[in-house]
Amino acid sequence: MIRSRFSALIRWAPSLFFWTMVFAPSVHGVELGEGLQAHGFISQGMSLTSDNNFGGNSDSGPAWDLREAGANLSWRPTPDWLISGQALARWAGETDNGDLRLDYGFVDRTLLADGETQVGVRLGKLKNPLGFYNTTRDVAHTRPGIIMPQSIYMDRGRNFWLVASGLSLYGNREHANNAVSWQISAFEPEVDDSDLNYLMLGRDFGGEFHGRSSWLGQIMYEREGGLWRAGLSLGDLAIKYRPGVVDPFNAGHTDLSTWVLSLEHNSENWSVTAEYGQTEVRSREYGIPIVERDNTTEAWYVQATRRFPGDWQVFLRYDVFYFDKSDHSGEDFASIAGANPWIRYAKDWTLGVRKDIDRWTLSAEWHQIDGTAWLSPADTPYNQQSQEWDMLLLQAAWRF
Amino acid sequence: MFMLTPVSGSALAVEIIAHKGIPPNALSLATARSIFGMRQVKWPDGTLIRVFVLPDPHPTHGALCKERLNLFPYQLRQSWDRSVYSGMAQAPSEVSSEEELMNRVAATPGAIGYVRKARAHDPVKILRID
Repeated sequence: MIRSRFSALIRWAPSLFFWTMVFAPSVHGVELGEGLQAHGFISQGMSLTSDNNFGGNSDSGPAWDLREAGANLSWRPTPDWLISGQALARWAGETDNGDLRLDYGFVDRTLLADGETQVGVRLGKLKNPLGFYNTTRDVAHTRPGIIMPQSIYMDRGRNFWLVASGLSLYGNREHANNAVSWQISAFEPEVDDSDLNYLMLGRDFGGEFHGRSSWLGQIMYEREGGLWRAGLSLGDLAIKYRPGVVDPFNAGHTDLSTWVLSLEHNSENWSVTAEYGQTEVRSREYGIPIVERDNTTEAWYVQATRRFPGDWQVFLRYDVFYFDKSDHSGEDFASIAGANPWIRYAKDWTLGVRKDIDRWTLSAEWHQIDGTAWLSPADTPYNQQSQEWDMLLLQAAWRF
Repeated sequence: MFMLTPVSGSALAVEIIAHKGIPPNALSLATARSIFGMRQVKWPDGTLIRVFVLPDPHPTHGALCKERLNLFPYQLRQSWDRSVYSGMAQAPSEVSSEEELMNRVAATPGAIGYVRKARAHDPVKILRID
């Protein structure tokens, strides 16, 4: 009885909190006390596709199953200590069902701060620094569109790349015209996700992956206050497989070596962003040859965003992903696996528009896509995936 | 080109102000960016820095970004959002008017902010950017 009341409270407290905040005075964030702040966000999307399902049953009419809600607290008890945590619920078609989870939670200790140089250490559950956008990919108004560029930030691999428990050392140094920031993390990847089984093994037989010792680092350079931004992210992630009760796969393991190059130019009305990345995937001891074929993914996008008066933005993006950089057409894989070649790549042209009104962000975008590499088979089974498809997305998002 | 050309002293449309108790009288551009970017959180004497800002569309906020920090308001907002929604740093305190900002900076130890024009008898310190 007490437990059910508690779970009802957990369920309703966030929505009560949000709707209270929607009608609260127009400021960003809430200061709850000395050094204690709260922020949050909520978004609701609509997807409609010509073929294939994305974010619900979007092929048979508008689907409303893209939704995010999060709230965070941060507390700075003294200048050198910061304690931060965020709760998140996310809905995304068949791949995410809105379970409330700890998105991140860590303690940050400043080790050195002399005006232009800072060095510190963080311990706990931390967002993985990968490219420009990974750490805030679930916060709609920080994304470069309604959905992330799927090549670098594939939603199918989201949980795997997003966050991990570990230790991170970071620093930054600023000069008048140059700034460098860096961080390096040691952790074990979080992998309790059936989408990962599809991504790594092509099927889900109920087995589970477990994280092994991994590392990820990032260095970012900014020129003239961000007129130019450039970054390199790289790391090695390792996981092992524990087979299900009836499972054709043995207890294998997979190593992923990844790097992403990021480049951005910002002027008053324009931002041009490009990122390019590869991930080398080596799987061993699964006992199934097709899974143990080494492959290197190739991913890149270029996006140009134009800002207009009245807080309007329009962007054009071209986003490309190949599961195997030496098999762009997917034909080699298709002939071995007996699958459609277009499940191995995706090329996406996107035209988007965004309007910010105070704490609200309203967005619409049109995608024209060749290939289905970033579609989840949980939403659209492989043998039902159509090669060429269009998608309309709408989204309303609010934050404080 | 505006971005790349420092504006000379008398033409500046915005002044950086701070609580009278803070040690420095001047900041380097790098330190000012670091403080308003919420990356630097304490003064040389160890006091916590409290940053007060005006809303993004406020003309004085635009003047701070472009003339003092050499960046655009949207870049500062993106940088704050990246930090705030990943837990890496806290957000500045936003107030709605310059009058309120002046009062909060005067009353809060460690505070820094900005107004279009500070006067000699205002109860705050005016910081130079070197």
